[in-house]
Amino acid sequence: MAQPHMVPAASDAALILAWQGGDEQAAAELVGRHARPLARFLAGAGAPEADVDDLVQETFIRVFRSVDRFRGQCQFRTWLLTIGGNVLKDFGRRAARRKVVPLDDGVRDAAGDPQAHAEASEAEALLAAGLKQLPRLQREVFLLRAQQGLEYEEIAAALATTPGAARVHYHHAVRRLKEIVE
Amino acid sequence: MKGDAMNSDARLESLAKRLGTEAAARLDVEATARKVVEQLREQPVRRTTWVPQTWLRIAAALVIVVGGAVVVSRLTPEHRAGVGSHGAHFVADDLNDLSADELRDVLAAFDEIISSDSVAVPEGSTDLHELDAQQLRAVLRSLEG
Repeated sequence: MAQPHMVPAASDAALILAWQGGDEQAAAELVGRHARPLARFLAGAGAPEADVDDLVQETFIRVFRSVDRFRGQCQFRTWLLTIGGNVLKDFGRRAARRKVVPLDDGVRDAAGDPQAHAEASEAEALLAAGLKQLPRLQREVFLLRAQQGLEYEEIAAALATTPGAARVHYHHAVRRLKEIVE
Repeated sequence: MKGDAMNSDARLESLAKRLGTEAAARLDVEATARKVVEQLREQPVRRTTWVPQTWLRIAAALVIVVGGAVVVSRLTPEHRAGVGSHGAHFVADDLNDLSADELRDVLAAFDEIISSDSVAVPEGSTDLHELDAQQLRAVLRSLEG
């Protein structure tokens, strides 16, 4: 009996090249692969849940517009997540200018939306609140390491720092978060 | 104690992995991909904008480098010496264009200038033959006006 022919999935690099050559399907495939991890990262970094969808789209648009600058210094997903961090930072600035309190504050706050609060465990809510208190770099290193499971070398390449510095940021973040969560 | 710390780290990582899972689960990936592609189609990547900006930067850098080089060369002693020689060459070119009669007229005018009071002859000197090179240069500079 003949074995079914397995077509190997195209690598991210191949899809990027295809997109640069005008293949829209390649862009859609990249979105399909990485949208959910990006959404997790953004939500973990403090994005209001109601805005996660828009922020994911904005991140991908920014990524595809600047993909010429991606030199393969790290994995595509890691680069995508760091750009997501920039998009979230810009979103926070815009929200501050409009003086709109992000919905996430209500969701994450112990006195916030009761339904959302009930869905999240107390420890998760505390962790989320603790992450918001961390400096941005510590928060992103923590999420890239603990949530996304990346190595320090990979994190360092994406954030233009050294693996040692990434390790230090991670341990500072963990120490602060333990104090908050426990 | 160490075991407690490890448990604590593991718990923290476990919590971190759960963060945002609901938001990710709610995300309509296909719709997101469709919207992203549509937006990219409506506003294509403008790669050409990068090129002019780069060329502008290169041009600006060239202007700075060339301008700086011109300023430095003008401030160096070699250049000052060059200005003098250029002036002499310019005068010589003018003289080459003159006929013999015109040259005689120039010399006659020169004699008049020399004998007039407008020449800054150093104090105490009455004869140009008594002047040293530095004093003669001063006289010639005063002749140049």
